[in-house]
Amino acid sequence: MSQKKIHEDQKYIVGLVENNTFIIQAIYDKFAPKVINYIKQNSGDASSAQDIIQETIITIYNQAIEKDLKLTCPFDAYFFLLCKRKWLNHLKKTGNKEVTINEEVLSKDDDAQELAFETSLFEQQHSLYKDMFGKLGQACKDLLKATFKIKSMEEVAKSLGLTYAYARKKKSLCIGQLTKLIQESPTYKNLKS
Amino acid sequence: MQEQDYILFEDYLSGNLDTTEIVAFENRLQNDFEFKDAFEVYKSTSKFLENHIENEEKAETFKTNLETVSSKYFAKEEASKSRLKGINPWYYSLAAAAILVIGFFFTQQFSNPVYEDYANYGTISLTVRGTQSEVLSKAETAFNNHNYKEAEIYFSQILKTDTNNMELQLYKAVSLVELSNYTEADTLFNSIIKSPSVYKNKAIWYLALSKLKQGDNTACINTLKTLPEDSEDYNEAQKLIKKLK
Repeated sequence: MSQKKIHEDQKYIVGLVENNTFIIQAIYDKFAPKVINYIKQNSGDASSAQDIIQETIITIYNQAIEKDLKLTCPFDAYFFLLCKRKWLNHLKKTGNKEVTINEEVLSKDDDAQELAFETSLFEQQHSLYKDMFGKLGQACKDLLKATFKIKSMEEVAKSLGLTYAYARKKKSLCIGQLTKLIQESPTYKNLKS
Repeated sequence: MQEQDYILFEDYLSGNLDTTEIVAFENRLQNDFEFKDAFEVYKSTSKFLENHIENEEKAETFKTNLETVSSKYFAKEEASKSRLKGINPWYYSLAAAAILVIGFFFTQQFSNPVYEDYANYGTISLTVRGTQSEVLSKAETAFNNHNYKEAEIYFSQILKTDTNNMELQLYKAVSLVELSNYTEADTLFNSIIKSPSVYKNKAIWYLALSKLKQGDNTACINTLKTLPEDSEDYNEAQKLIKKLK
């Protein structure tokens, strides 16, 4: 991965991370029409296209922030593949029939396929972690939020009225609990295999 | 895994083990598959929490901005579509007449493109939910209402403390062009163009428009030519060059 050359379209990724309105607008102007067309031709409408595009951009944003996403292919191919997959998944879930899948016509770019695959994997992982975090008890949630916001364990302990040693221990146990929840979830087993 | 295993993970990751303990830990990672598996998940969970919680606010701001751009884009999309829908045959003759009128204006413009045709800055959105400053939102409102005199004052005020904010510099420069304060505007554009900022290409485009407003067509063309091919305004720039020649 790391030896591959970074595509000049990385500027879109950088723009998203910087929350640059011009870049976001440019992404819509340049790349949305193709996605909207595809969704409309496959039992969707403009408003479903709007949702799919928005979710896809948020996923790319999250991956860029959390995993330092490096684009090794044109943004166009990557973005379209992601939107397309998301739409097909949506159709599958809602039990909709009649989907035209011309996989070979849609993308010949191997890098784009690979990168889009990584991104969808990241997305599933991300939402699994988020869901499981939601399942933790309130005390753990509060402690972890404070830990990762404040950084200094001494201050965290002080703000929560705990001793330093207990706060430290509690932190590992809370992350441990989350680790367990993740490992035991069926989604995790799917992602691993 | 037992409680003490998770405590051990944390100690290892935060560098709280001594050399013998580290060796023992790494040995166990190699030999105990379950231990290693749990450790990997623990590690990525920590990483996830770190990013997720740390960037929560930033991510919210991003989402709000994204939603604004998205709904604007789709409102435009819908509007252009509904105009095409269900055309009454009677309208064709009206359309023909309209084309004649537009054609007339077009040929007029063809020989003489003016700044006003291009000075379309849209509405800007600078304020961030929860954390916006009053001046920033005043600047935004003034700019969006084309009240450039006030907008310029507010931008300058914010830039005193937030000196390197390229986005605000760009809007300040645009306001200065609107106020016909070209020397200051062009200096500002040039400094943005020299920076490695994402607003670089926008600054080139607006600098060209500034030259157009000043009636300096040669400078306008020369500036437009420096716009890279992949920039957003490239096509528009090529058209403008043709018209100016």
